[in-house]
Amino acid sequence: MASATAPAERPPPVLRGRHDFPEISGRIAGVVLNGRLPRYFWAAFFLCFMLVLVFFYAITYLIAVGVGKLGIDMPVVWGTMISNFVWWIGIGHAGTLISAVLLLLRQPWRASINRFAEAMTLFAVAMAGLFPILHLGRPWFFYWLLPLPNTHMHWPQWRSPLVWDFVAISTYATVSLLFWFMGLLPDLAMLRDRAKTRGAQLFYGILAMGWRGSARHWARYRVVYYLMAALATPLVVSVHSIVSLDFTFAITPGYHSTIFPPYFVAGALLSGFAMVLTIAIPLRWAFSVEDLITLRHMDNAAKLMIAAGLIVAYGYASEAFFAWYSGEAWERTMMVQRAIGPYSTLFWIMLACNVGALQLLWFRRVRLNMPVLFAIAVIVNIGMWIERYVIVVSGPSRDFLPSAWGDQSLTWLDFGILFGSIGTFFALIFLFVRILPAITIFEVEELAEETGRAA
Amino acid sequence: MSLYGLIAAFAEPDALVRAASAMREKGYRRMDAFSPFEIRELETILEIRRTRLPWLVLAGGAAGAVLVYALMLYSVEIDYPVNVGGRPLHSWPPFAVIAFEAAILGAALAGFVGMLWANGLPRYHHPVFNAETFSYARGGKFYLLVETADPSFRKGVTKGQLTRLGAETVEEMEA
Repeated sequence: MASATAPAERPPPVLRGRHDFPEISGRIAGVVLNGRLPRYFWAAFFLCFMLVLVFFYAITYLIAVGVGKLGIDMPVVWGTMISNFVWWIGIGHAGTLISAVLLLLRQPWRASINRFAEAMTLFAVAMAGLFPILHLGRPWFFYWLLPLPNTHMHWPQWRSPLVWDFVAISTYATVSLLFWFMGLLPDLAMLRDRAKTRGAQLFYGILAMGWRGSARHWARYRVVYYLMAALATPLVVSVHSIVSLDFTFAITPGYHSTIFPPYFVAGALLSGFAMVLTIAIPLRWAFSVEDLITLRHMDNAAKLMIAAGLIVAYGYASEAFFAWYSGEAWERTMMVQRAIGPYSTLFWIMLACNVGALQLLWFRRVRLNMPVLFAIAVIVNIGMWIERYVIVVSGPSRDFLPSAWGDQSLTWLDFGILFGSIGTFFALIFLFVRILPAITIFEVEELAEETGRAA
Repeated sequence: MSLYGLIAAFAEPDALVRAASAMREKGYRRMDAFSPFEIRELETILEIRRTRLPWLVLAGGAAGAVLVYALMLYSVEIDYPVNVGGRPLHSWPPFAVIAFEAAILGAALAGFVGMLWANGLPRYHHPVFNAETFSYARGGKFYLLVETADPSFRKGVTKGQLTRLGAETVEEMEA
């Protein structure tokens, strides 16, 4: 409890006030079971659902007419589809970091935000997985990436980063789903026992698999849950490293760099934490759970953003330095062209967002001011998308021979798919908040028990 | 309908732990506890053996890696060897990347399925759900179950003992 005599430097408490167990589970489960959500919730969902329709239309158009309708053009044959992919997969990573790494490090503050962060991971990976497939040109042949017996007698090219990517993303999606569902199991049982209607009892009852909270079950559950966290941690690092290898295995200037794997992982964490805050700040306000998702969570997430953001800034500096230090004319030219060439506006906006605006988070007053923090999180989200786009297009547009230089300009289809995917992601988040408990009930109860004992 | 056991409800986790250890001292062994979150102290009191699931997770990971590596070797060495400028067919660095992902996938699947299997889930009927007072969540209660299969079980005596240990309710549970 923060008392009036507490020094200002002390972090705000993880949970505010005293809670007993029926109160916690009643409040969190009530959001789902009572089903009385404010009108603005459905209004916001409606807006997102409009974007879902845009997404469906754009995808149908893309498949029917072809990828030529996107901005991509020779020589810049990678465009928004790849930057969308990298952006979404990066957003997913913060969810795994919160749920797995902070669990292993025994950071108790993760308990009230890990559930929706994991859901965020799942939906972000679901979005990310679409883009490489849509970018194939003939998306219906995507299963050729799988080692399936077929009459063509062909195998996937195991040495290609694109195949590693396919393997990494599908593994990541599966493991995230298992980890998320396993964490949900006790909460589903809680919803089953609290549900009043027959339909809800059946729905949550079937999903809960008959969980009854036996001490013997809990013992096995904990061991496996920690092991899953320990497996997810190296997985998440490997996934974004492999994504970066899609670039670095090419000799294109601006792609071919050894800093990429750590730089991409840090970028993923930065954009992921920005998205966590983008969701958490309205969520805690809309459902009045400011005492469960407290300023301490916001403060810590903002600090992690600063940490990841500094590594990203180091990545920018290192890219520029090694372009110069390599002594290769085309690497140097690409770097100069990035700053003054056709995409220079985007490059400077990217620096302003990801390096400039981020520095405001050094101030405690900014970290604890929710509207400002929300604005910075949105700015960083935008900045990170631009970063991926700049990386994707600036290399191929300015490669070895000036006679082969060229640009791409975005079309309505690029924007339709980008904003459509954003709308679909948030629509899924809205449905998740409506159907499943957005805060892990049993872990918050455990936390309340521990803090109650310590007090 | 036969009697499965007696289920006692406690208001606080500490009360459940005290009651469980007191019942253990009285010689009861066939007991189980139910709580909305894990209570670590119960592990020694209820003599819960360390789970061997980590070995299953290890086996799942090893199986994933070995199977996928073998598949890649078979495809490049036997089924469809392609000689590219005399480079080795067995290029282990890229294969290791895919084998690593397969190891994680195998281990996670083994862990999840193994946890359900060892816990006997999904199981939609269990005597504990027959108890009127048992609710996994509603009251925020902590339950101790003494089974009739316990050699020291005497319905009246056991019920009295549980009540004296501070149980709010003691219910006879049908199998």
